[in-house]
Amino acid sequence: MAQVAVVTDSTADIPAAERERLGIEMVPLKVHFGEETYLDNIDLTPEQFYQKLKAFSGLPTTSQPSPADFFEVYKRLADAGRPIVSIHLSSAMSGTIQSAQLAKSMLPEADIIVVDGRSASFGTGMLVVAAAELAAQGASAAEIEDRVMQLRKSTRLYFLVDTLEYLHRGGRIGKASALIGSLLNIKPILTIDDEGMVSPLEKVRGAKKAVARVAERIAADFPGGPVDLTLAITPGFTETAQELEERLKNTVNIGRQRVVEIGPVIGTHAGPGTVGVFVLPMQV
Amino acid sequence: MGRRSLSGAEWTAMIMTGALNLSRHVDRINALNVFPVPDGDTGTNMNMTMKAGVAELERKPSEEVGKAAEVLSRGLLMGARGNSGVILSQLFRGFVKAAAGLREIRVAEFAAALQHGVDIAYKAVVKPVEGTILTVAREAAREGALMARRTEDLVVWMREVRRKAAETLARTPEMLPILKQVGVVDAGGQGLVCLYEGFLEYLQAEDPAADARLAEARAASVRQAQQEVPDGRAESGFAHAPVQAQIATESIVFPYDMEFFIRRTSPSGPFPEAEFRQALERDGDSVIIIDDGDTVKVHVHSRRPGDVLNLALAYGELTDIHILNMRQQHRGIIGGQEGQGAGSAAGSAAREAEVRQPVGVGSGAGGWGAGDPAAGDPPLGMEAATGILSPDAPRPAPVAASGRGAPQPHFHAHEMAPYGIVAVSVGEGNAELFRSLGVDVVLAGGQTMNPSTEDVLQAIESLAAEHVMVLPNNPNIILAAEQAAKLAGKPATVIPTRSILQGMAAMLAFLEDEPADVNARRMAEAAERVVDGQVTRAVRDTKINGLDIREGQYIGIMGKQIVSAGDGLFDTVRGLLERMMENGGDVVTVLTGEGSDGEVTRRLADWLAERYPDAELEIRDGGQPLYPYLLAVEQ
Repeated sequence: MAQVAVVTDSTADIPAAERERLGIEMVPLKVHFGEETYLDNIDLTPEQFYQKLKAFSGLPTTSQPSPADFFEVYKRLADAGRPIVSIHLSSAMSGTIQSAQLAKSMLPEADIIVVDGRSASFGTGMLVVAAAELAAQGASAAEIEDRVMQLRKSTRLYFLVDTLEYLHRGGRIGKASALIGSLLNIKPILTIDDEGMVSPLEKVRGAKKAVARVAERIAADFPGGPVDLTLAITPGFTETAQELEERLKNTVNIGRQRVVEIGPVIGTHAGPGTVGVFVLPMQV
Repeated sequence: MGRRSLSGAEWTAMIMTGALNLSRHVDRINALNVFPVPDGDTGTNMNMTMKAGVAELERKPSEEVGKAAEVLSRGLLMGARGNSGVILSQLFRGFVKAAAGLREIRVAEFAAALQHGVDIAYKAVVKPVEGTILTVAREAAREGALMARRTEDLVVWMREVRRKAAETLARTPEMLPILKQVGVVDAGGQGLVCLYEGFLEYLQAEDPAADARLAEARAASVRQAQQEVPDGRAESGFAHAPVQAQIATESIVFPYDMEFFIRRTSPSGPFPEAEFRQALERDGDSVIIIDDGDTVKVHVHSRRPGDVLNLALAYGELTDIHILNMRQQHRGIIGGQEGQGAGSAAGSAAREAEVRQPVGVGSGAGGWGAGDPAAGDPPLGMEAATGILSPDAPRPAPVAASGRGAPQPHFHAHEMAPYGIVAVSVGEGNAELFRSLGVDVVLAGGQTMNPSTEDVLQAIESLAAEHVMVLPNNPNIILAAEQAAKLAGKPATVIPTRSILQGMAAMLAFLEDEPADVNARRMAEAAERVVDGQVTRAVRDTKINGLDIREGQYIGIMGKQIVSAGDGLFDTVRGLLERMMENGGDVVTVLTGEGSDGEVTRRLADWLAERYPDAELEIRDGGQPLYPYLLAVEQ
């Protein structure tokens, strides 16, 4: 039996090196600056994206991959005789998974499991990485799916945005929530809930307090045991991100840590200055 | 031989004479407020409350004391303003119980009424404090019970009750240290004594004289009502962006603002309020139904006024029918036909405004200070227009927010939001801050003008929400808000916030996805964590907490205590902030109000940054009157 192939999309924000090391296939979403179209995380690095964002007068838009984009990848892998587990951006936020499903239906003979990660950025990414590691150990597609769904329950993610305006304009957060704190310096602590929707957990005054609360929450979520922690940042490592890293070091028992960059598509909807923390218990 | 009994009309005249005597002493009572801060509103609150009760009695006179007592009680309850007003409304509920079914009242029932009233009032107040109106009422009632065994003469009896009340009032400084420190008697107690004095005045008088008093009382109450409208409006003449223009006239879904009474023809059992409400809400909103037994007051915004009237006819005869077309009103406002909105609207719609005073022209509005001429009130027109927003858009965008390009809300009639939030606040900037925090209705009111129970009730009823949270943001409004929450036709919870900044902290803790009890707890806890400060000017000389304060000096108040004072604004604020920061603090919020100074504010920011470099400072323009600075420190 050939090794299971793991497919994801560009919004999982998995660094290219890690993707290559684990043999993860990635289908890019698209970013449009007016007439210009770029492939997410391929034509446009995060750094280039945030520079363009600053210079561009309007707001970029994004679009999901076409079914054909998925079909091409699935076909190639299926022709090589490999079963496929394809894990994607929350269906509550994007139609990406629709395209994947359509592509799957165009290949009735292939063994493809499409999984709604019900998350975004490295929230999906950590599930994908875990899946690829299981695949490398020879797990079957069904086993991988089971483990990924279980794992999802034991992960936690929190993120802070500079302004809720981007989430609001992209329709990724309710109007009521988006209005919160537009006049006072209020930082909502955000997460992605079980339905795969952005939801505010609490609102605190000022970035310093928000950073402290995120660290406190993670310490309370994972008392004792070492954790696998990923910090997702926008290029430049903002002051908030630095403070958060520092805080986490002091309050959380970190077994393994990596830093990833938030890519153009997620950046379009979360805005510059966004910082996320993605945590799962260390695999023993 | 004096009087032994009072008919309904006589009892009413007695109440009115009492109310008149109270209104004569409003300023004196206001001046008795213990803190030398400009919140001397006990007299005003009691007077407004009594006036609402008297107005109801004038509208629905009865020859039967039992009925008249019910009418008065309802009027007082709906008009109750401030703590003292609410307590007053509870005291008079004693008559409802004691005089139930009676045509005439005698000493025995009068005495029982006072005692019942005291019992009810003590229950209504969470933490009764001795040395206040409660003590005065209790001692007077006790004396009344004793005297009722000795005399049947109302004049003799009332004289002793009044004497005991005045005696007890004189002893209030012995019971409440703060009174003694400042050297005054309790303001609420003084108000009650004024009422009793008026009662005695009526009882002692010969009939013709009493009639004259009655006429004078009526004339005076009408005069007062007329005076307040133009005065208040004049004060609210600051420039408002024409927010009405942002709302399309056609977006008013239920254009007919209706108010009428149903006189029930065969009242067999209680009025089927829930059923009737449901029927009205099928094609209308802002429904308010007040069941008064054989008369039912109805308020509704509807698309088809004919249908509503037909529906109501099934229950009895309809009286005092008022129907206003709010679209027409709105067109008038945006077309500038009403000129400055406020003043001339009050003039051109004078009759309506007068007749409708308790509910106000912008009634559906959730009554932004409807009938509440506080400074800072939106003009009449804005009440109406904003009111249109609230029922249909439970969480409207901050329409008054300028330049932020807030998206225009889409109105979906009948869409129920899980929560609606009402906050009492004063100042344009503060109102905007509250809206930005998710508050749906900002009711004008604060230290000097407290919204009535009815104002709060209307605000609650105006929201199409499953549960309404109310932030009174002032200790004197908490009781009225709680009364309103009890009367509301939907679940409502009062978070006992005592200041504007406590209210804002409570809003931060609010989460739409959580159940009401969890939110209530979270919000109350968040408010408790705030260290509160206010800076204002002393309204009289006083010695307190080792500070020698002269009239006109700045004073800094932390919580309930004056902790700094002086001629310099900056030094007073700094002294206050040092005290507030004694136990540390991460976030300092400053709301600037009328009388603040840009230079002082700048120095304050510099000083804070240097003295407390780790604290985050936020300064916003709150626009509140009387308090140049409102401050909060949060951990």
